[in-house]
Amino acid sequence: MRNLLAISATELRRFIRDRSNIFFVFFMPLLLVVVLGLQFGGGGSESRVAVSGAGGRLRQALAAELDELSVAVGATGDEAMRDQVARGRAAAGVYIPNDAAAAFAAGDPTQVELIVGTQGGSQLITQQVTTALQAVSLESAQRAALTGQGIPPDEAERALAAAEQDVGPVHVTIESVSELDEEFSGLGQFDLGAASQLLLFVFLISLAGSVTLIQSRQYGVQRRIVAAPVSPRQALAGQALGRWVIAVFQGSYIMAATALIFDVDWGNLWLSLLVLMVFGAVAAGGAMLIGSLMDSDNAASGVGVGVGLVLAALGGCMLPLELFPDTLRTIANVTPHAWAYEAYAEIQRHGGGLTDILPQLAAMAAVLLALGAWALRRSVARAM
Amino acid sequence: MVTMTQHDTESPATGSDVLVVQDLVRNFGELRAVDGVSFRIAPGETYGVLGPNGAGKTTSISMIAGLLRPDSGSVHVAGQLMGPRQVGPKALLGLVPQELAIYPELSAAENLRFFGRLQGLGGAELRSRTDEVLDIIGLSDRAKSATKEFSGGMKRRLNIGIGLLHRPALLILDEPTVGVDPQSRNSILESVEALATEGMSVLYTTHYMEEAERLCDRIAIVDSGRIQAEGTRTELIRIVGELDEIRLDGSGDIAAAAGALERLPAVEHVLTEARTLRLTVREAPTAVAGIVNAAGQAGMELADVEISRPDLESVFLHLTGKALRD
Ligand SMILES: Nc1ncnc2c1ncn2[C@@H]1O[C@H](COP(=O)(O)OP(=O)(O)OP(=O)(O)O)[C@@H](O)[C@H]1O
Ligand SMILES: [Mg+2]
Repeated sequence: MRNLLAISATELRRFIRDRSNIFFVFFMPLLLVVVLGLQFGGGGSESRVAVSGAGGRLRQALAAELDELSVAVGATGDEAMRDQVARGRAAAGVYIPNDAAAAFAAGDPTQVELIVGTQGGSQLITQQVTTALQAVSLESAQRAALTGQGIPPDEAERALAAAEQDVGPVHVTIESVSELDEEFSGLGQFDLGAASQLLLFVFLISLAGSVTLIQSRQYGVQRRIVAAPVSPRQALAGQALGRWVIAVFQGSYIMAATALIFDVDWGNLWLSLLVLMVFGAVAAGGAMLIGSLMDSDNAASGVGVGVGLVLAALGGCMLPLELFPDTLRTIANVTPHAWAYEAYAEIQRHGGGLTDILPQLAAMAAVLLALGAWALRRSVARAM
Repeated sequence: MVTMTQHDTESPATGSDVLVVQDLVRNFGELRAVDGVSFRIAPGETYGVLGPNGAGKTTSISMIAGLLRPDSGSVHVAGQLMGPRQVGPKALLGLVPQELAIYPELSAAENLRFFGRLQGLGGAELRSRTDEVLDIIGLSDRAKSATKEFSGGMKRRLNIGIGLLHRPALLILDEPTVGVDPQSRNSILESVEALATEGMSVLYTTHYMEEAERLCDRIAIVDSGRIQAEGTRTELIRIVGELDEIRLDGSGDIAAAAGALERLPAVEHVLTEARTLRLTVREAPTAVAGIVNAAGQAGMELADVEISRPDLESVFLHLTGKALRD
């Protein structure tokens, strides 16, 4: 036991000594959580509209109405607006030509341009912008009606404001009913990104960490460990434990940091940690396997990163599993990521308990056993 | 009728010897790297294994330290059978591998503490041994630096220190001075001498004759996986008998000179090294005139002639017909 702890503590110490690890462990995951949060998260592009073109009353009125509908409004140039919509940073864009602004001021019929992105939720945003424009033209019509009766403009303004106070506005809430929106409904902006980045990084860092195993052989310290009164199995268990501690440490850090900084809700904390521990063990097993299969540390870190990214992408850590076509969704089940993703989905979104995630845990345990047996056999042979 | 069967795990008459090696054989594919090596080391003895590159020194040591399973033969450490899974006898050995075996990211003290823990040391004992060893290897003032910042000699010394930490019954040093500057080399040799004086048993491999002569009580001369001869320095040199060595340096037709000299009755062996001929010769003082003559007649222009008493190098040459270093 003491040998085991000594070996794993040293693995951990070596990991921390490597400066580049600090960047990958501490900053990268959070950075990606932000990026994914902005892309897929609930408060992201879906309710952001970029407005460009002529300034003036029309633009102000439209912005005010959209604001009422809780749609964020950004003002930009024309090109930038189209670019934002194309890249999905804004769900829609409104272009107000100069003559439209003038026509609106003069009370004439007015034509603006609406540019809608191709992403999910575009129907919703079209509806919201249309609603806002209707409100704007209604108000403008009312004002025209009042001034047409010879009432001075400022008095007309006051009357309109008073009427709004008295009558109270009719609010239209627009409900989305698609399955997808349903699935993500209980989710904060960064929750999804945090869970998938946790899985991606825990696995990636573990696999890339297999280089320390190869280096142990290259440095000759492996020989020295086996020459000490330590059995080959103990030596390997120590290294595996070290890898596991690193994986769980990395995951716990992401959980804590995203909870504190982005207010991510991890659901039942103990269950989330349990999923992390099982997933971390699978990751450690993968690291042991790569470490025993490969001889070059550079090649191993390349393979580690490559395999780590591919499995993560396939397991729903880059694009949510729910957006996968059916066949791909089935294939995704070969990755431990997909199972862990599902387990987190149960815990985070549906308040699932231990029994709800048992199938996922069992699937990961099965992967671990297969991987572990293989890695162990290889590693014992390599340790000597 | 009673028959005696010798059980494999019991020590076959190891007596009080710290190490008994019997008939070790190890093949790598077609190559027989170690071919029936047997020797014993008594407590407090410094035993040298002297042999050229590829002689099978490291392979033998790997089997002695339980890192490699022999194809046949056995190793007993203080009466206990050694093998890859034998934890007991491993605790009695301190191995200093030929290649550096230290963590470059960790400091000297961290390396020592880590390997000390694996040897079962802990707490105050580990701390005090770490300090003592740092002192012995002269790295006390660099204890906290990462070892990747160390010079080659400093790394070598740390490599040795790790083997000493747990006061092993037998310290195994596999060519500890290879690639080391003369100063570090001398300090390594002095440490080994000091340890031997304190009564530690040492197994020391090298291809430097001077090191074996200086340090070792007994020496095995190995080549091609076999022990060619074994004994004290005096015993080994007696093998060459009254043979001396004569070195001829020069230019001209060296090959022809070598051929001519080989035919002289006083000359036992001729070895050509670039522009030097090394001869093993009976009664050199009387033979030297004839040798110089014969070399000159064969077309060699002599620049220098040197007669020396035999040393281990001559013994090696005599036994194998090769130079110790190539
Ligand atoms: N793992 C291996 N696989 C194949 N051949 C090997 C292996 N290890 C050693 N050999 C071969 O066995 C022979 C003995 O090697 P060994 O390392 O024991 O020699 P050595 O006496 O230690 O030499 P040196 O002085 O160069 O360290 C050499 O021919 C070497 O090429
Ligand atoms: Mg060697």
